[in-house]
Amino acid sequence: MFSFGKQELIVNHASSNRMNSASTQFVPSRRMGICEPIHQMAMWGDFKGNDLLPVSPPMILDFEAKLDNQSEDTSHQTAGPSNIYTEQASKLNDKALRRLAQNREAARKSRMRKKAYVQQLENSKLKLIQLEQELDRARKQGRYVDSSADTTQLSHSGSMNPGILKFEMEYSSWLDEQNRRISDLRKAVHSNIGEREMQILVDAAIKHYSHLFTMKAAAAKADVFYIMSGMWKTPAERFFFWIGGFRPSETIKILLPHLEPLLEQQHLDISNLGQSCHQAEDALSQGMDKLQHIIGGTLADGQLGEGNYFSQINAAKDKLEDLVRFVCQADYLRQETLQQIYRILTTYQTAQALLAMGEYSQRLRTLSSCWSSRSHERA
Amino acid sequence: MRKALELLAAAGEDGDQDGGIMRKVVAENAVVIFARNGCCMCHVVKLLLHGHGVSPTVVDVDELNEVKLAGELTEMIGGEEGPGSAAAMQFPAVFVGGELFGGLEEIMGAHISGELVPKLREARALWL
Repeated sequence: MFSFGKQELIVNHASSNRMNSASTQFVPSRRMGICEPIHQMAMWGDFKGNDLLPVSPPMILDFEAKLDNQSEDTSHQTAGPSNIYTEQASKLNDKALRRLAQNREAARKSRMRKKAYVQQLENSKLKLIQLEQELDRARKQGRYVDSSADTTQLSHSGSMNPGILKFEMEYSSWLDEQNRRISDLRKAVHSNIGEREMQILVDAAIKHYSHLFTMKAAAAKADVFYIMSGMWKTPAERFFFWIGGFRPSETIKILLPHLEPLLEQQHLDISNLGQSCHQAEDALSQGMDKLQHIIGGTLADGQLGEGNYFSQINAAKDKLEDLVRFVCQADYLRQETLQQIYRILTTYQTAQALLAMGEYSQRLRTLSSCWSSRSHERA
Repeated sequence: MRKALELLAAAGEDGDQDGGIMRKVVAENAVVIFARNGCCMCHVVKLLLHGHGVSPTVVDVDELNEVKLAGELTEMIGGEEGPGSAAAMQFPAVFVGGELFGGLEEIMGAHISGELVPKLREARALWL
């Protein structure tokens, strides 16, 4: 069972006047990691422990051990030798006084312990709320949720950047909205709705994408590395990432088979569009390579090993500004590609295209969450 | 393709101080890119244009330490004159057929929409 060390016994002894009788078993052995909430609840009888996060026991033990070592010392103090009768009488008085003082002392320490414990609980509660929110957000997007990972993060990326936190919240609602639009498009494409209704749906869907690009532009200014790493996307989506988002030429390749029937000219135009995208992507990629090369060179400038690199950092920082422009250009390319698709195709075909794009992204997200749960099963 | 700076040097030797050197460069070359030294966005523009078989004239604005030239350039781009105003301008700036076409964004947009090639052809930048 439990192996009570000396410290655990002291805890029981000194604070017994404040605890209920269940306390003798409440202190877990140090071998246990996070202790069961039941044990903690028994410690303070007047607390409702339903919403408690198990608090790491060693911390409480350390705190209490320190205090209780002191109380242990005071309880061993004895009076010096003197006359027997007066000594005895005064000894009795002294003893009583001493006992009262010790009681006061123990009570005071008990109150301090209680205060510290409550503070710890409050902090843990806040942390729990944050974690739950993060978990909820992550599950909604089917992102990889690793509960064993470091949980001190406030956001998925650990970012405390207000611009990024705002973006993450906005993206969460954007995604909900997007899923709704995809099912609307699905219904519309498989039904006989009129041209005008279809037009409205399609226009709204494209506008929704534009909204995302606006959000991303603001987020890129707040933290371009966040956008470049695709931190708000699911892992599978990140696998196909290119400068902050989807690759337009890939998207067109995916769409093409789902757009039948196409006129000869339309087919040609879409193919050409795909090719133009490919060229633009290559140009941007090579520009990015050059930027990487330049920043790397700037950073490595001077004596590597001198320990003094203030000027190199500053120079590199300036050049990083270009990264924001690249991300914006990539998004502009995505936006223009969508516009061009809209121009080439009929309303109905555009709806098909948007539906195909939307569902493809959904599949990627689903793949991500399936993959992560598979990893959990294995672990 | 003559480097624009050669033109500038030549103009300087002629004692042509009337200005309009920049305008001359832009007028005599079908496609001109004004960019900062080592600018990566300029690199992207160049690649896109190369893809169409165009060899643009590239002018390094960092080497334009002549106040007059910088001012003239700023005026052409449509900015405000004044010291240091050229630095506030958006580079790269692309001129096609003697007129300001825009920056990387405009070139990219035209490339996607298919408007770039006709424009280039119009400016006789293409050999086909």
